[in-house]
Amino acid sequence: MSARVSLGIDPEELASCVACGLCLPHCPTFRVTGEEWASPRGRISAMRQVQDQGAAIDQAFLSSMDTCVQCRGCEPACPSGVPFGSMMEATQAELTRRRRLDWRRWGFRVLGHRRLLNLLSRLLGVVQRLRLLPSKRLGLPKIPLAQERLRATGSDVWLFTGCVMDAWQRSTHAAVKRVVEAAGAGVALPGAGAACCGALSLHAGLEDHARSLAIRTMRELEGSAPILVDSAGCGAVLKEYGKHLGTPEAVAFSERVLDVHEWLSDRSDRLPSAGERGQDLIVAVHDPCHLRHVQRAHQPVAEVLSHYATVVALDDDGLCCGAGGAYAAMQPDLAVSIRERKLEAIGRSGANIVASANPGCTIHLANAGVAVRHPLEIVDEVLDHDG
Amino acid sequence: MRFRRTTKADPLVDDLRRVLPADRVRAASLERSIMGRDASIFEGGQAGPVCFPISTEEVQGCVDAARRHGRAVVPRGAGTGLAGGSVPLDEPVVVVTTKMNRLLSVDVDQRLAWVQPGMINLDLSRAIAPHGLHFAPDPSSQQVCSLGGNVGTNAGGPHCLAHGVTSAHVQAAEVVLMSGEAVVLGDPDGWAPGLDLRGAYVGSEGMMGITTAIAVRLTPNPPAVQTLLLAFDSVDAAAHTVSAVIADGIVPAAIEMMDKNIIWAVENFVGAGFPTDAAAVVIVEVDGLPGGVTAEADRVAELAEERGGRVRRAADDQERALIWKGRKSAFGAIAQIKPNYYLHDTVVPRTRLAEVMNQVYEIVEEHDLQVMNVFHAGDGNLHPLLLYDRREPGVMERVHAAGSAIIEASLAVGGVLSGEHGIGIEKRDFMPLMFSEADLDAQGRLRRAFDPDEMANPGKVLPTGASCADVNALTKVPEGVWG
Repeated sequence: MSARVSLGIDPEELASCVACGLCLPHCPTFRVTGEEWASPRGRISAMRQVQDQGAAIDQAFLSSMDTCVQCRGCEPACPSGVPFGSMMEATQAELTRRRRLDWRRWGFRVLGHRRLLNLLSRLLGVVQRLRLLPSKRLGLPKIPLAQERLRATGSDVWLFTGCVMDAWQRSTHAAVKRVVEAAGAGVALPGAGAACCGALSLHAGLEDHARSLAIRTMRELEGSAPILVDSAGCGAVLKEYGKHLGTPEAVAFSERVLDVHEWLSDRSDRLPSAGERGQDLIVAVHDPCHLRHVQRAHQPVAEVLSHYATVVALDDDGLCCGAGGAYAAMQPDLAVSIRERKLEAIGRSGANIVASANPGCTIHLANAGVAVRHPLEIVDEVLDHDG
Repeated sequence: MRFRRTTKADPLVDDLRRVLPADRVRAASLERSIMGRDASIFEGGQAGPVCFPISTEEVQGCVDAARRHGRAVVPRGAGTGLAGGSVPLDEPVVVVTTKMNRLLSVDVDQRLAWVQPGMINLDLSRAIAPHGLHFAPDPSSQQVCSLGGNVGTNAGGPHCLAHGVTSAHVQAAEVVLMSGEAVVLGDPDGWAPGLDLRGAYVGSEGMMGITTAIAVRLTPNPPAVQTLLLAFDSVDAAAHTVSAVIADGIVPAAIEMMDKNIIWAVENFVGAGFPTDAAAVVIVEVDGLPGGVTAEADRVAELAEERGGRVRRAADDQERALIWKGRKSAFGAIAQIKPNYYLHDTVVPRTRLAEVMNQVYEIVEEHDLQVMNVFHAGDGNLHPLLLYDRREPGVMERVHAAGSAIIEASLAVGGVLSGEHGIGIEKRDFMPLMFSEADLDAQGRLRRAFDPDEMANPGKVLPTGASCADVNALTKVPEGVWG
């Protein structure tokens, strides 16, 4: 049916996989299906069939691409450094150009409008309470009807608040802000211009929308203060603005971005002690993919937490939990199968609480009944704020 | 726009879907193309229907359906084979074992476990680690390769120097023959009397049947381990040190060697502190009781230093793990330099290592190519990797000519064609260089004793035309190999 289509993938990138297969066990969808087309090597092979050999973009191709969580766990596993994430982003952009009716095309537009998002979120919260919504199936948390207002306390650091997290989990930002302040910094909060980092749009192939959100965000978070991020997914994209936009301003902006735990781990000696309060806590650290595989900055979470609780590691090599931004809503069956493996690892760890530095993972794991909090919510609770 | 399904109507697929649920029999053209290759260079494969059974009965059902339609069957595990052994030719039914990945039982006292064939090699060792046991064969791909595939190729690995290759660790195997019958070869309770059919089966590269369960022997973890990283200014000094260690009466758990180019690529990936200025490094691991281990490690260090080597000892498990991660990532790191590699697997007498390696360097220079060597030096098992970019015009001919010359050089000193990767399709037409017509005929007859109609993985290992070796064919490229 089709004329030859380019997926817009850099040919050198596409040629750079030697098909050794060392990525396979690090891919959550291969792990739960055992199917080659649900693995990074198989997906690259599928991309080559289409871009190099003129194969049609058909259901099988679509399924191979859309089942990818985009966790990028394959990237650190690849001895040749194949940039899988960038190839998948290019492919998704091409597929989105062909899928005019995708709900995400207009649905994700809301993310850039803070007031509208808050309003719709409250509506969603009402509908949820009327039990008119299959929340777990859709991967939704319990959405609050009213939230506290955050107030700026200085200009030493920016705290990036984002879209859905601010609308649904602002209490996490509040806890993070208290911990950062306890470390001695005044916190500045961005206005509505920095309403969304663009991660969800980028992963859905809505490149133009992602770009316009990025430009707005950069304009809002001006100056030279460090930009602290408490959502691993947002942090990963903010750190890649330089790569995506390619301008000197974007590169300089990305250099200011830090996961909040990276910033804190250098200052943990300035934090008040926990006293006796953290003693019974055994915390398993769940590494969000975009913190571990993309930012490669997961160590500071355990470092910071270890001052306040007993920290145990999970023994699953940092395999994804299946949340993947909107993935849990788009591919619910696979998301649940992937989560099963994570639940088993959590069970083996002996922890009584799980720390997750990414809102999507937190929601996804909480929906399975796991006691899961943001690492800094745990710290905030045991911190002796008066002492 | 709408996206079409590109599955053709096929009565074989309908029959297979009477045995397996529809979503475990896949036949879209893209899916069949993706299954067309493994980790080897062979890109010309095309699969028929792709089946994912989860039990022995389902495998039997797939085999029966294929037989009724006169279609061959190709088993496949994780697809990490390096010789094209699981590449499907002429659209056979592909039976993938990745969903048969359970540990069926563990007998700690007998040090025996029954596993399904799709279980990942490293997953087995991790599962039995609480008992202080592991599965000894550790191919570099052990984090992904399947145990069924290990049985198929009689896989080796760095630690097979002391412990032996897969065959020494397989007590019995349940196999579905092409008749559809399931048989157990070997005896899980001891050595079966009579002919060692298990021994004939291990390493048969899917040409006798499909493995559906394996009784594997488990090895106790050594009480002490020391890992040494030896750096040399010449390949000769490194090779001579390897020979000297063995001649001294030491049998290390592993002796691995890497040359200059691969050291750089590996170090760039793992950052383990490999000396990028060295011409070659040798990794030596000794294990056993603590006293013996220290004495042996000291002696190895002494032998290396006498030959100009610099010695570094891994201080802890973390450093040791990083060194091994580097070694085991080597093949995958190649694309940092070139996007394609052609890998050979010849074995030469240890005392001739230095000589053959120098020949390899000369051959590669003559053909204007690049080579990297990373291999099991302790048992003389070379892995020269010829690097190329298949998009470069005329490069394939040079790669193939250099490969042939390397094989000839290895055989000339009394070596063999393959140490552990298998013959598959890549090395198939080199077989007559190593075996006489009578040898090949005997191998063909052994295979037909299990699979009279040659429906299990046809076209592999034994040159086509069965017993008549056509030496002229060697100058030709096997059709499709260089696709």
